[in-house]
Amino acid sequence: CNRCMAIKTTAIKKINILCKFNDVRKEHIISLRQARRDRQLVSKRLLLTEDEEQREVTMDTASGQQDLVDLLCKVQHSGPERGTHLKALSKALRDPSEQLTFIKQENSVNLLVSLLTGSNAQCRLHAARCLHELSHSPHTNVAPACLPATPYLLTFLSGQSTKFTELCLYTLGNLFPDSDVVKDKLLAQGIIPALANCIENQKHNLAVVEAAAFSLTQLLQAKDAAEKIIPKVLASSLPSQLLSVLNPDPNFGLAPAIECAWCLHYLACSSDGNGELLALGALSHCSSLLMSLGGAVAEGNKEEGMELLVCPLLRCVGNLVSCCPVDSLSTQVGDVRLVAALCAFIKAYLHTQPALARESAWVLNNLTAHSTDFCSALLTLNLVPGLIQLLPFSQGINTMILRVLANVAHKKKESCLQLAQLGLLSTLCATLKMADQEMVTLSLEILFMLVIGRPQVADEFVRLSGVSLLEAIQYNSEGEMRRRAAYLLEHHLLSHSADCTV
Amino acid sequence: MTASGNCPTGTTEERELPFSFTPQLFHLHKDHELFEDGDIHRHMYLQDLYVSGADDEPALSVSEFACHISGCSAVFSALEEYEHHYNSLHRHVCCSCRRSLPSARLLDIHIQEWHDSLFTVLAQRQDMYQCLVEGCGQKFRTSKHRKDHLIRIHKYPPDFRFDKTKKDRGTREAKRPQQKDTAMEVADDVCESEGVCEVMCDVLSEQRELGETMETLVEEEAARMTKPAATMEHTDLSAAFDGNGCTSSETFKTQYSYRVPTTVCFGHSSVRGFRGRRGRRK
Repeated sequence: CNRCMAIKTTAIKKINILCKFNDVRKEHIISLRQARRDRQLVSKRLLLTEDEEQREVTMDTASGQQDLVDLLCKVQHSGPERGTHLKALSKALRDPSEQLTFIKQENSVNLLVSLLTGSNAQCRLHAARCLHELSHSPHTNVAPACLPATPYLLTFLSGQSTKFTELCLYTLGNLFPDSDVVKDKLLAQGIIPALANCIENQKHNLAVVEAAAFSLTQLLQAKDAAEKIIPKVLASSLPSQLLSVLNPDPNFGLAPAIECAWCLHYLACSSDGNGELLALGALSHCSSLLMSLGGAVAEGNKEEGMELLVCPLLRCVGNLVSCCPVDSLSTQVGDVRLVAALCAFIKAYLHTQPALARESAWVLNNLTAHSTDFCSALLTLNLVPGLIQLLPFSQGINTMILRVLANVAHKKKESCLQLAQLGLLSTLCATLKMADQEMVTLSLEILFMLVIGRPQVADEFVRLSGVSLLEAIQYNSEGEMRRRAAYLLEHHLLSHSADCTV
Repeated sequence: MTASGNCPTGTTEERELPFSFTPQLFHLHKDHELFEDGDIHRHMYLQDLYVSGADDEPALSVSEFACHISGCSAVFSALEEYEHHYNSLHRHVCCSCRRSLPSARLLDIHIQEWHDSLFTVLAQRQDMYQCLVEGCGQKFRTSKHRKDHLIRIHKYPPDFRFDKTKKDRGTREAKRPQQKDTAMEVADDVCESEGVCEVMCDVLSEQRELGETMETLVEEEAARMTKPAATMEHTDLSAAFDGNGCTSSETFKTQYSYRVPTTVCFGHSSVRGFRGRRGRRK
């Protein structure tokens, strides 16, 4: 069943019922899109239990369900069975309605906190697990109830077992977005330095790094992150730490690099972030990683989930390039052949993930906008014909690609003849007829650039029946189009006396 | 760079340039819509719902083509359809009265018979009405004679759509903005001879005309074109069809108005628009 879910994170496989019903999945995605448009999309992460890691489970928790209040009572009484009951409690807390029931019980969270900080190691772990289940709740009133635990969770970020630290990190990351009270408390309690120390001291422990980076992504997406969070993050060692973990470990896989890349993306989106990141060499780092990924993709080695890493890297590079001074762009990026990697991504993901192709095209635009080096690279690496073939595809892909080609024509006027001969001129005869107005406008602009001062290109366009095409545009309802078409006809295509070349 | 006396100077031209493209950098904030699909994937991954290769996002689509003519809302999924539409409906258009003819030859004949005052004069003395069938070569004294010929010899239907008389065009003519060129206006006013029927692309004309308009031909074309999905307006003219087997409900009519100076025209060369003045210019 190719709709069955398989996800590789530290060798965990799990089948999720949701995916088996395509309609349910589609509905779910529609609601996610709306949530994002409302800026309400919160992505929590649930760490599976060891039992779940080792065998396939379903979402069905009906078997062995015990009464929650009853369980809580059992936990309250100390004794050798406490650990067992606590474990059962953590299983019960997977259920959202049970989560609500739990927090309504008096002192329930305080009980967990005392067990979390108690002398029994097993109970500490189970208590942390309970808090983790609570943190994953879809109900936003659960997180504030967990506040008593947070200072301890932060303290435990150093010097515990990997599993325990991971639980604490994911729990903190899940709690953060749910309410402003939680946010303010966690920031005041020093979550940023705690995360920085955690990554620094446990750099070799990739599971912990992954968890810490995930938590950081939660912080960086806050509405007021720009004022309250990002400056502190930039001032800490976090940016350089993130960069140092960016390259995927062949044994551990992509997951830690993915989380770090998303952190860098959120930082690069902010206006403050770019300067700091550029100074740290982030552009060069991300570009070279993209290039090796692009090479793999071009050879057909598409590791599953690679696009999850490509996506945030593209965004980093795209935004960093837009803030990088033009004269240092080539050195900051390091290698102009990045454009080949971007074209490889477009080709590889065009049909399976068009949005990724579009993002790659966006990066190409930013690279070619003001840099002669990158425009030249597109030509010398013979990437232009491939780009021209992308011009039929809509949803923002062809407009961005056309912009890239316009950038090249604009930046390297001597290349215009070559562009025309590579097929751009004949393709313009098609793009000029498209319904998308932006395509037509850009096409007219490019046509002007190709034709001006080049009567042989003008002749060729006339041979391609371009004149009647432009005449038709003169009846377009948009004045801007009519003026451009009229100008081209008047000055370059009909009056072929060549006296008017400029 | 050369400049001759006939040209405006370089600087003047630059000021008048309607082209404004400059390369642009786009810095995108995290909530930008370009990032939507990638963010959804990210969310699905974190929630353990990610499937590499699942088509969670809208499928790749191909740009549509659209007719440029203002008011014509025809849209096409393939370039050939566009070409066909344009050549059928917009290519051979008379600049004087803006009627659309199906071919260059019929356009020529139309212009000659409807807008050429010289023709009117000559027609009083000699056989000027050409047979519409290419290669026949015969000419007739009146359009009625030609029509009889077409029916008898060439087996045309008596209600052939391209052989309407000028008188039948109705009062709609008065609504059309007249040519500035007085020579043309004169031609329109005095020309009472019967001429080649042409077909109009106009919603109003369809209501007032006596039936045969180009819509019929257009609908035939449209029926052929609309096999792939194309958005076209509906018309209730399908009832007017007889015998051509077109029962498609996806017919359309075009309606457009020109807002540019009438001196500019369709056709292979802009000279076509000034056909009516042929006699005078020389």
